[in-house]
Amino acid sequence: MEPLAPAPADPAELEREAGLARLFELHYSSMLRLAVLLGADDPENVVAEAYYQIYRKWRRLRDVEAAEAYLRSTVCNLTRMRIRHLQVARKHVENPLEETAVSAESAALLRDDQRVLIDALQQLPSRQREALVLRHWLGLKESEIAAAMGISGGSVKTHTSRGLAALNQAMEARR
Amino acid sequence: MNDTERELSEALAALADGVRPAPDAYRTARGEWLRRERRRRLVLAVLITVVFALATLIGLWVLNQTPSHPGVIFSGLGPSLTRPTP
Repeated sequence: MEPLAPAPADPAELEREAGLARLFELHYSSMLRLAVLLGADDPENVVAEAYYQIYRKWRRLRDVEAAEAYLRSTVCNLTRMRIRHLQVARKHVENPLEETAVSAESAALLRDDQRVLIDALQQLPSRQREALVLRHWLGLKESEIAAAMGISGGSVKTHTSRGLAALNQAMEARR
Repeated sequence: MNDTERELSEALAALADGVRPAPDAYRTARGEWLRRERRRRLVLAVLITVVFALATLIGLWVLNQTPSHPGVIFSGLGPSLTRPTP
């Protein structure tokens, strides 16, 4: 097994390393899943980037409890930026790749109706998708969703209801 | 919660269950943080050095532009002041 890089001697650096290792252990899986559900094509990189940003801003972090909300918000923003970048890149490619970012391996575990629903979710605008995932997978309150997405509570309601209406329509069309 | 919302929750949970983090994810991510941090500090140090060197060179050039002949500030050719008599 390859050894880890040498540990720093500075006490503040040691505290940061220990804090980040704990954050990684507590939240890495859920952040990775969040990135996948939001449609990131490279969820590992998105989450690693979110952790790097918290690594750099460690001294300015209010408390470790705030880190989860910060990570969640960063993963949402990075995923949205990544998807937007891919959409722009696809416009310049003659033969665009498949739109959906959910891996075939993960999607294989779903039933047919679930797969249709997830496909419909991936077709929604990113804000609507984020609101629905944060509400129905993480079970966040409206104020927490608003904080994670950096928008108002009213906008969260709008995105959620529009997203649900589109999903309802997709499911009705299937039935 | 209507049928679609319930189905959506179930579908998201099922999809999330299929996602498994790599066992060496922390090691990989930590290596990447340290590498990027080293690179950031190196770039910052190079930038500071370049700015300092440029400022020094510009300062030296400006000093070198001063006239080589002695500049006259006071020629002493004007009417001399006479000492007031008591």
